[in-house]
Amino acid sequence: MKFIKQHISLIFPLIAILLGLEFFIVFDRTTDSFEKGLKAGYSMIVVSKDEMSIDDFKAWDSHIEQVEELEKSKILERLNMNKDKSANKSFESSLPNFYSLKLDGYLTVDELESVKNNLQKSSNILSIETFQSSYQSKYELFSFIKFSFRTFIGFMTILGFFLIVKQMEVWNFLHAQRMKVMEIFGASLFLRSKVLINMALIDAIISAIMTSWLFYLFKNSWVQGSQMAILKENIEGVFKFSDVFILLFAAITVVLIAVFLVVINIKEE
Amino acid sequence: MPNVITANNLTLGYENDEDIIKNATFSIKKGDFVFITGPSGSGKSTLLKSFYGNLAPRSGSLVVGGLDMVGISKKNLQELRTHLGIVFQDYKLINEWTVKKNVVLPLWISGYSTEVQETQAKRLLHHVKLTGKEHKYPLELSGGEQQRVGVARALAKNPFLILADEPTGNLDEYSSNVIWDLMENACHQLETTVVVVTHRIPMVFNIPYRHFTIDKNGSIYEVH
Repeated sequence: MKFIKQHISLIFPLIAILLGLEFFIVFDRTTDSFEKGLKAGYSMIVVSKDEMSIDDFKAWDSHIEQVEELEKSKILERLNMNKDKSANKSFESSLPNFYSLKLDGYLTVDELESVKNNLQKSSNILSIETFQSSYQSKYELFSFIKFSFRTFIGFMTILGFFLIVKQMEVWNFLHAQRMKVMEIFGASLFLRSKVLINMALIDAIISAIMTSWLFYLFKNSWVQGSQMAILKENIEGVFKFSDVFILLFAAITVVLIAVFLVVINIKEE
Repeated sequence: MPNVITANNLTLGYENDEDIIKNATFSIKKGDFVFITGPSGSGKSTLLKSFYGNLAPRSGSLVVGGLDMVGISKKNLQELRTHLGIVFQDYKLINEWTVKKNVVLPLWISGYSTEVQETQAKRLLHHVKLTGKEHKYPLELSGGEQQRVGVARALAKNPFLILADEPTGNLDEYSSNVIWDLMENACHQLETTVVVVTHRIPMVFNIPYRHFTIDKNGSIYEVH
């Protein structure tokens, strides 16, 4: 019972830290792909007097990545003004040029406003439509979710670290006597801390496996049955086999630092 | 006989504190059995601590087993300690380890094989009259039995020097006799140097010994 308690008191905070780390990795992957989708789906419309190339646009703002000229005939089609073909021809030739611009990322509302302002400096540009209100609501929702999740992960990690510090105090209490006696009899630092290192490494491996298993279950049961498109579309990003190694590396690093801090703080009486 | 411990004008004291041992000059030879006595707080244990490098000399020189204890490196200190047998008044056993594991600690530290450890444990536990208790834990034993485990541990590697701090304080007569017998034998048969800090020299002691005393001012004299 005592043995199990000793292990659980390290495994629990380690899992909290690893869950935080894995959630961060998964969240980053998922939102990254969602952000790419938002970016791909967004474009602003620019109306200009004369024709403009991508370089002309880029000269005004470097965020512009792609330019597509909208066909005037199609615009007239949408406006249902193509019934009289001869009239349309002359009307079409008098129309300005329409462009759909794609940007290099999912910009903030301020950045979007700055792109608009830069383009407006060109005397050739007659009008710009950024669809700001729809963009803003999506952007704010996205930012809020991102912020909330990161805050949650941050708190979880801090809690995990506090529990590990507590566990270090327990280790100090449990192992100090043995390590001091061993030092008196000439044991090296490695030999003195071997028991603690072994125990901590076992706990790190168990924690990494358990966290991986939790995410595997999360991916294969909950995500598949969930209605959240963002997760279902990026199911491969929810948990990758390579994450086991990232978690293992993180767990071993955390426990070795903790062990090292405990060992160097135990001084001979 | 070569010197095992040599002190010249040795002064000892704890950090930010007054000198405890002042200008002590003495030498202890291989095979000597030395009692160090003195009033409480005179510095007996402090002197013993300096012999195993727990306290560095404040001034003067101290050579133990050929190693200068002034500025001794960690590596050399570790090496020296693997050749010492140390007995404490409070036993300093590892409570989560069995009696056998405690006894073979010095052998384990020096990397001796399991077979050697097994053989030594059996032999030593027989000597300290604890056969059959090898799988018990220290807290399951009486104070006298725990101290006998401590002595067995000190003898495990046939050290060249045994340092004992009040080894029989508060012990029953039986355990005290077992401990004195073992130390006498180690000194007499193996020519192990034994230094014992004690309040009282035992009434019956079967081998020749030297007696140092420390006065209240921290000066050391040889009285016997």
